[in-house]
Amino acid sequence: MPFLAYIDPGSGSMLLQVILAGLLAVPFLFRRVISDAWHRLRGGDDAAAKRAEIREETDRQG
Amino acid sequence: MTTPPRSAPRSARRPIARAEEPVVDPASFRDPFGFVFRRNGILYRQVQAPAAADWEAFRSGGLLERLVADRLLIDHEDAALDFAAAPGAVAVIRPRTLDFVSYPYEWSFSQLKEAALLTLELQSRALAAGMRLRDASAYNVQFDAGRPILIDTLSFEVAAATEPWPAYRQFCEHFLAPLALMSKRDVRCGLMLRDFIDGIPLDLASRLLPTSSRLNLGLASHIHLHAGAQRRAAGEAPSPDAPKRERRMSETGQLALLDSLKRTVSGLHWKPIGHWTEYASTTSYSDAGTDSKGQIVREMLAAGGGSTAWDVGANTGVYSAMAAEAGYRVIAWDMDAGSVEAHWRVVRGEGGPAILPLICDFANPSPAIGWALEERRSFLERGEPDLMLALALVHHLAIGNNVPLPGIARLFARMAPRAIVEFVPKEDPMTRRLLAARRDIFEDYGIDGFRAAFEGPFRIVREAAIADSPRTLFLLERRSADS
Repeated sequence: MPFLAYIDPGSGSMLLQVILAGLLAVPFLFRRVISDAWHRLRGGDDAAAKRAEIREETDRQG
Repeated sequence: MTTPPRSAPRSARRPIARAEEPVVDPASFRDPFGFVFRRNGILYRQVQAPAAADWEAFRSGGLLERLVADRLLIDHEDAALDFAAAPGAVAVIRPRTLDFVSYPYEWSFSQLKEAALLTLELQSRALAAGMRLRDASAYNVQFDAGRPILIDTLSFEVAAATEPWPAYRQFCEHFLAPLALMSKRDVRCGLMLRDFIDGIPLDLASRLLPTSSRLNLGLASHIHLHAGAQRRAAGEAPSPDAPKRERRMSETGQLALLDSLKRTVSGLHWKPIGHWTEYASTTSYSDAGTDSKGQIVREMLAAGGGSTAWDVGANTGVYSAMAAEAGYRVIAWDMDAGSVEAHWRVVRGEGGPAILPLICDFANPSPAIGWALEERRSFLERGEPDLMLALALVHHLAIGNNVPLPGIARLFARMAPRAIVEFVPKEDPMTRRLLAARRDIFEDYGIDGFRAAFEGPFRIVREAAIADSPRTLFLLERRSADS
């Protein structure tokens, strides 16, 4: 079902957003992998642990 | 949405004949999910039936509680459904009210940037809880104790992370475009928000930004490409019967987009270098004069009474700090974006004093704007402080701006019941500088003319000459209408 917003999201803005999201996902994931690896190398695993925690919480809330 | 809680105007605090009649906030009309109203001067927000499921998810999922605990969202108390101002209510809440509601065109660069980052942080947390911000209006953010805070408790809705963010465009227009223009073109571009109540159109921002901004990946994407996408979409003109197209993105894509917006906003900077930021060190006062002025201002603040003060022409806030020390919650107005920025950098943050620096040119203050001129209130319609400070201001208005002294006195009396006003005579080096290149047409500008002008609407409570200076400080009290 298409969703409807109460403000005008702008059809051009919606399309661009979907395209940008696709393009930006690659460097975003890459940075995440690098930063997780960096934190693991430095011994602390805080960032990755925190992200896992957030993911769990998200899953829990469905 | 954009429904700011306002401190009750004086008239609303007086007992009125039909005290039970709710008064709906005129900025609330756009929002089908709820609205803000006042009853007996108390602010309420009513949640309407279409928002019932979202409201329930927001409350029961714990997001509401977390955001309030982290001071990202204004706190509220639940009110009984009997308080509803119209049929269709599923909940009524009583949000905490703020002393003063400011608007994005009154914020300095860092204030707008912090409000933008707050909005993205809220969206980020909402996504993690299976929700999202349904809009990204800068008017939904206010400053509270040195930090930005979301005041619209009804901003959250349930949404899958695979749906594009409907507020993406609004975020770019309300936050990213003005920040980019302020940072890359001129900080005064922030004032354009006065003309564009829905944010700066992206095609305009794209044209005004320097060409070099196209090399910034974030600005190239979210402003320049975005403006192009809007232009192309506008040319398409779909038929009214065409089905609304469903678009999907990956969850990672959603997070990547948000991350990109965060990086772009964080990467914008502006540093004040201005005439007024150095003004405090270039004043005409000797050390003895400064001490004497400070001493008299402190005494007058102690005698002033009340709990709120507006320091008009506050510069970087030397006397605002004195007012805060004396127990006032202070709004520090200045027309110079650099001074306000410098002042904000001092007072922002946790545990800062109760001072909010804001931009306003007193000779041309914020007007009422928006639908029926009721959406955003003018400088004079947003409540009055108990005390006003106008130090080293009157000569700028009278000589710099040709406003006759009685006109200045009348406006001051409209603004506050008590005022601390500094008179700077023609012999003063600062006034002489204002007159240097002009014919002196200001015959009535002198201490006698000042007294005569201000004794109309005010009573002079105290007059004190500043040592080692030709200047004089006055503590004034407004005459009541019947005296």
